Amino acid sequence: MSVGLTHYLVVSLLLFCLGLFGVLVRRNLLVMFMSLELMLNAANLALVAFARYHHNLSGQIMVFFIITVAAAEVAVGLALIVALYRQRRTAHVEDLASLRL
Amino acid sequence: METLCFYLFAALAVVCGFLVVANPFSRNPVASAMFLVLTIAALAGLFVLLHAFFLAAVQILVYAGAVMVLFLFVIMLLDLKEEERRSWRKFGLVGGGVAVALIALLMYAALRQSPLGAAGEPRVEGSTAALGELLFRQYLLPFELVGVLLLVGMVGVIWLSKRAVP
Amino acid sequence: MSTVDYLELLKLAAPETIVVAAAVAVLFVDLVIMRDEPMRHRLLIGGAVTGLGCLVALLWLAKVPVHAAVLGGVLVVDPLTQWVKGIVLVLTLCTAALSLHAKFTEHVGEYFTLVLLATCGMMFLVSSDDLLTIFVSLELTSLCLYILTAFSKRDRSSAEAGLKYFLFGGMAAAFTLYGLSLVYGLAGTTNLRAAAAALAGQGLTPLLAVALIMVVIGFGFKVAAVPFHLWAPDAYQGAPTPAAALIASGSKVASFFVLAKVLMLGFAGVEGSGAWRQFSAGWAPLLATLAVVSMLLGNLAALAQRRVKRLLAYSAIAHAGYLLLGLLALANSDGRPEALAALVYYLATYGLTTVGAFGVLGVLERVNGSDRLEDFIGLSRRAPGLALCLVVFLLSLAGIPPLAGFFGKFYVFTAVVGAEPARLGLLWLVALAIALSAVSLYYYLQVLKRAYVVAPVAGADRIVLTWEDRLAVGGLALAVVLLGVFPSLLLSPLGAAIQVAGY
Repeated sequence: MSVGLTHYLVVSLLLFCLGLFGVLVRRNLLVMFMSLELMLNAANLALVAFARYHHNLSGQIMVFFIITVAAAEVAVGLALIVALYRQRRTAHVEDLASLRL
Repeated sequence: METLCFYLFAALAVVCGFLVVANPFSRNPVASAMFLVLTIAALAGLFVLLHAFFLAAVQILVYAGAVMVLFLFVIMLLDLKEEERRSWRKFGLVGGGVAVALIALLMYAALRQSPLGAAGEPRVEGSTAALGELLFRQYLLPFELVGVLLLVGMVGVIWLSKRAVP
Repeated sequence: MSTVDYLELLKLAAPETIVVAAAVAVLFVDLVIMRDEPMRHRLLIGGAVTGLGCLVALLWLAKVPVHAAVLGGVLVVDPLTQWVKGIVLVLTLCTAALSLHAKFTEHVGEYFTLVLLATCGMMFLVSSDDLLTIFVSLELTSLCLYILTAFSKRDRSSAEAGLKYFLFGGMAAAFTLYGLSLVYGLAGTTNLRAAAAALAGQGLTPLLAVALIMVVIGFGFKVAAVPFHLWAPDAYQGAPTPAAALIASGSKVASFFVLAKVLMLGFAGVEGSGAWRQFSAGWAPLLATLAVVSMLLGNLAALAQRRVKRLLAYSAIAHAGYLLLGLLALANSDGRPEALAALVYYLATYGLTTVGAFGVLGVLERVNGSDRLEDFIGLSRRAPGLALCLVVFLLSLAGIPPLAGFFGKFYVFTAVVGAEPARLGLLWLVALAIALSAVSLYYYLQVLKRAYVVAPVAGADRIVLTWEDRLAVGGLALAVVLLGVFPSLLLSPLGAAIQVAGY
């Protein structure tokens, strides 16, 4: 069976769900950020696959932008962790309890 | 050959992705980061299979290079060793797992029923010249916007990671 | 492929360019020239440059009428987007005025830069029909707002609030992105209108449904609709008050407008119906569900709040519910112009009112150091003018005539009832909304009761208001009253703009 668009989309879907699982279940902020990256990467894979099978380069351009945006987002997120760590000495979600949910 | 490569990279991506979020052997964030690097590399491999050569290179350079180094840098900076020992919350684990598995199943079902097979033969070649053409013509404005976004990132990160003046 | 006329492009994107230029200018002036000046001067100069930038951009919007879509929908400028951008700019201007007494930071330049760049993101968000540009500007806005939320280094809860906002926002971004990528994949284009055209006639295929749900989840986070609202109370409470005002007003206006656009243009043809006993799949029933739970939970949870910022946050969640109803009215193309005008009117008046309420709160916080309900005791004697403004804002939020909030709700609800050809099929939603508005009056009156009825403890002195406070808060209260008494001041130009823009 030759590899088609659906195969790539299944991989992308699995990655997205793994990332979602990580964000929901893990309590370490750094690992949660990595899970977010996984979700964004899943979207990237879907976009590249779509671009390939739809004869249209816009998808690849989107990935190009997403990589840049993700890099900026990670930088800000990590800086937030550092700022928080300076105050609290923690990088765990459970310790973020001075504001209740 | 291509099929073999696809399955190889796909398996690598999914397995390493799993080890990022739920590594049964180690709870160390460094391990997660390393597996994320592997996932990203596998994805770059898939990009090559999809003829997106430039993106594959960018993926490796920016993600595996810059972003992951940033992650590792912060992990080292914070020195989070003692926090590996925290226990999983059983309820959250099972609940989250079931919920996400359900979502995955639903999406898979949706995917199977969709008329994607008609998408035809792959044709697009991700030549860098064509990408550049598109980037600096149709998508010029978002390109400039991303520049602004990077400025925000710079200002924000410098300010956030500075020590507060006592 | 279209060739680009760069001058034309610059002219079309001039307001945004002006805002970015002002942002860079603020940073430069503060860091290079004003570095060793006293805080007061730095704040004044920073605020002045920010205000100047916004004013020039506003002037440009008012004086240079343009109507064009260039680069395949990447930038769409029409009278309606100009109006919405104008509203966003006014809200930013008010936020800047409220920041002039900021005590939460010494980093004036960075603060105003981020406010302006967030505004720039919102403006691009409003005037794009392109999935990619929408995503990038959404992220630009969000990143600025995360940082602004965490901006107070003295307040322990600020960094935490920023981080929570970031986590939820990051997840929202991932969902939105995946949804948008599926839209692209199904339609083969990044342009909303072209995507709808490509998908026309297929109905709601399963994968399109997944895309729709993901987009709605992503934007649901952004507009703080239940069940994606968890970040809002924390972010509002932890953020410095002017930043919270911006999150609650400008960002909400832009997010709702772009959500309306994405659903109306990109998912045209899969509206479905949320009418009683006539549900059919599409985005209307999805929004109806979110609207119901948002109104219920927002209003009920607000009853239990002891802190006014959290109260305003839950009230914002409830208002997100009403606004989602307003989106619902767009599902039917018959009454669409009126429904769109009602929605934008609601957004504008809600934004003004919220900024005003946060302004009053900011003054009190500066004097009392906290935002507990008890701090409002005796406000009518300590600062009669301020208390009066508070009455205007809170009653407008509750929807009491003749204030702007009432007419906002009135027009939106009318549009919703009129949107259903099966006659009154959506009446159940409107009935619920009106009932819950009545509930909301209770918690707004709780605040006003403390301000007017409860006797103050001895020793509370008068609150001295500065001229900036008077100008900003008083002006906003005046605007809320005026727009309430003469709704056509805003509604008729909006109607004309929508007609010209052709929605």
